[in-house]
Amino acid sequence: MKQHLGRQSGVQTVEVSLIDGKVEVTPKEDGQIDPAQLLKATYDSGVTAAEMDMTARGKIVKDSSGGFALQVQPNRAFALTPNELSKGLESLADTQTMVTVRGQLYKKPAGKKKADASAPLKLLILEVQKKE
Amino acid sequence: MNTRKLALLALLVSIVSPVAQAQIKHIEMRVEGMT
Repeated sequence: MKQHLGRQSGVQTVEVSLIDGKVEVTPKEDGQIDPAQLLKATYDSGVTAAEMDMTARGKIVKDSSGGFALQVQPNRAFALTPNELSKGLESLADTQTMVTVRGQLYKKPAGKKKADASAPLKLLILEVQKKE
Repeated sequence: MNTRKLALLALLVSIVSPVAQAQIKHIEMRVEGMT
């Protein structure tokens, strides 16, 4: 799996811990990394992803459906799952303020062996680390 | 004329650069079935 993930676009390093089942991915600074592609590559390597967390820096934007999203690249944004933390960031929408957040992009639904990997990933903010 | 071009360039940089600095810094997964 390590080699499989390491071959994905935008991936710099992959660290796998067999003991606790953790996989840490450090992206390259080229911004090409695609979490959905990583999730698919994980499935393709025969392993079930239970959870995926991401730390990212970006801007809060309002999307076409009226929801809010974290824009991490000009062509890549993650819709925010509403919670108390995301509500606290709504006032920053469409401003130049950059935020660094840690959040959950994916969690395997209880009882299911495998979730639909093609579903769009939504970001549930767990921690706001920085506003600048 | 040059001053106007420089001002326009500075404006464009100020608009574009915050997004350019945006990035995914780290991804962590918990997986099952790994041997």
